[in-house]
Amino acid sequence: MADGHSRTSTLMLRSAGRPPWYTPDGRNLPAYMVGIAGASASGKTSVARRIVESLDVPWVVIVSMDSFYRKLTPEESRQAFLNNHDFDHPSSYDYGAALTALERLKQGLATQVPQYDFTTHSPSSETQYVYGASVIIFEGIFALYDPKILAMMDVKIFVDTDSDVCLARRIRRDVAERARDPLGVLQQYDRFVKPAYDGFVRPTTNNADIIIPRGLDNEVAIGLMIQHVQRRLDAHHAVLMRPALVSRCRGLDGPGDSLVVLRQTNQVRAIHTILCNRDTPRSDFVFYADRLSRLAIEHGLAQFALEDKTVATPTGRTYRGCAIAPDVTGVTVLRAGGVMEKALHSVARPAHYGKILIVADPASREPRLHYAKLPPGIAQHKVLLMDATIVSGANAMMAIRICLDHGVPEHNIVFIALLATAQGTRAIHAAFPAVKTVVAILDPHVTGDDLLIRSGYGLFGDRYFGTED
Amino acid sequence: MSSLTEQASKHPRLHQLPQTHQLKALMTIIRDAETKRGDFVFYSDRVIRLLVEEGLNYLPVVDKEVTTPMGVPFQGVAFEGRICGVSIMRAGESMEQGLRDVCTSVRIGKVLIQRDERTAQPKLYYSKLPRDISDRWVLLLDPMLATGGSAMKCIEVLLEAGVREDRILFINLICSPEGALTMLEKFSKMQIVTAEIDEGIDARKFILPGLGDFGDRYFGTED
Repeated sequence: MADGHSRTSTLMLRSAGRPPWYTPDGRNLPAYMVGIAGASASGKTSVARRIVESLDVPWVVIVSMDSFYRKLTPEESRQAFLNNHDFDHPSSYDYGAALTALERLKQGLATQVPQYDFTTHSPSSETQYVYGASVIIFEGIFALYDPKILAMMDVKIFVDTDSDVCLARRIRRDVAERARDPLGVLQQYDRFVKPAYDGFVRPTTNNADIIIPRGLDNEVAIGLMIQHVQRRLDAHHAVLMRPALVSRCRGLDGPGDSLVVLRQTNQVRAIHTILCNRDTPRSDFVFYADRLSRLAIEHGLAQFALEDKTVATPTGRTYRGCAIAPDVTGVTVLRAGGVMEKALHSVARPAHYGKILIVADPASREPRLHYAKLPPGIAQHKVLLMDATIVSGANAMMAIRICLDHGVPEHNIVFIALLATAQGTRAIHAAFPAVKTVVAILDPHVTGDDLLIRSGYGLFGDRYFGTED
Repeated sequence: MSSLTEQASKHPRLHQLPQTHQLKALMTIIRDAETKRGDFVFYSDRVIRLLVEEGLNYLPVVDKEVTTPMGVPFQGVAFEGRICGVSIMRAGESMEQGLRDVCTSVRIGKVLIQRDERTAQPKLYYSKLPRDISDRWVLLLDPMLATGGSAMKCIEVLLEAGVREDRILFINLICSPEGALTMLEKFSKMQIVTAEIDEGIDARKFILPGLGDFGDRYFGTED
């Protein structure tokens, strides 16, 4: 059997917040894809890990080919239980399933990666959710075998370790970790592993861009390869989103009908004044922020078109109204957007809740995604995305992009904010024209080099949660 | 829409909530005879909150300059005028919490008005109002405006207590056009805030299509 027997076959690694993975007009940049092939026990996984450790990329996924073993026929399955099935043959893999999953990952979409159950020799009913990798490493003995998968890869590596080194490692590993007897390991090697390598694996060196002799020991080759990959990735992330959005939308006109501003009633104006006032005590700030949130949420819910419904009233007459939206998911952009969750909870039931944590990078103030957890089935829900303020629109864009990446259509998203700049809403509209934006207060400008609102609420989350300096 | 309903909906002192899909959906639930009490209370409370927020918009504000956390002056407005609530027992009490949720520790008066079986006229049985009510704006709370008999009686009580008529806002969920128009004609300065204007009333004085007896459904005292 190929390696990876008892290991986690898909590994998502996060070291820091993820910078924007899309262009200022909201389109995903393709993830960078590395293919690593080589003989069984040649050190592919170690090379993959070394790449991950050396690259300055926060979110990386290592996908093993083991996830894509195909379902065996009943006879093959019987043989597999007798250790008589050739798992090292190229026909043991479901390349279609691998292609589907890798294509989704490459496009930056939330992906369910299959898992293979080695105890039953069949694909597991469980899948692994993977989202947000800027670099995908696909490793396995036939990683460089299928032409369609090869066409997706940005760099193709073949780890060419001496076959006796591989065999020695394999015996050591299988005996120590998997309690096999050495003779059985050797038999399997002679019958399946060696012929498969000579006949099918080794020829894929022709598809490689880089062949690394001696595996992980070859620090020069690995170092050169990492430099190459890093240069390509740096070019991806050269754009600073906030200034790009602001300058891009400077010349544009109004945001069109995707922006809905609350009626500027006496109550809304008076509450806004209280929130703007730096001398407002915290208890009042919380109370009036909650009140404004509730108004904004009600207005957000009112944006969804609902189906007609006729009911009989207790007087025996009929009333022609609407049916309430069946599945509403509230997604809060933490921290400040979390303030509005309470208001949604008060009005919508049952509602599902997703949370996204976006934090400004201290140096550049650019958004960084740290955490995203959305309810299953969100692709079929109406989604209310909530954040307290929209300034440049960069955070909102990231939050919307996450929902789109999880299959929510634009027209099912309503973004709700208490305070927004016209520029920010224009940036959202330019990128995602079918997303409705509902704001309580539209404040005209961001100003200054720091691109902040001057007449706004200050640091909303800090004032609400009481964490000012 | 009947011509009377249309006439009522255009009256300058009768304010309807914006007729959104969402409001229709809420009203559909509370009007549906099959709706369970828990849902009836939950969705009624939601409409009441919208009504209270809307009602408060007819109170005056004054200009006020504040300084933002970024140190910039901002020309805003501040609430002006003190308010109180007056609920017509029993059903009006269901709206008190909605008012308290947006105006913490608001004063609330209560009035009990019932039909005198001998005269068939509404009769005041009990009233307890804040002492300084004559200085306040009054949000009069009763969920259903059918003939308007009790509410008009209540307004007379408020006027006797010295409340200025132009400071009375009558807040209800559903009103009949004839009840609303009669009331607005009798009292030329008060205002009404409602969620929906219905078709009319039946012989038993129930609003049609209405939602039945609000107090019974809200407090769980149906037969």
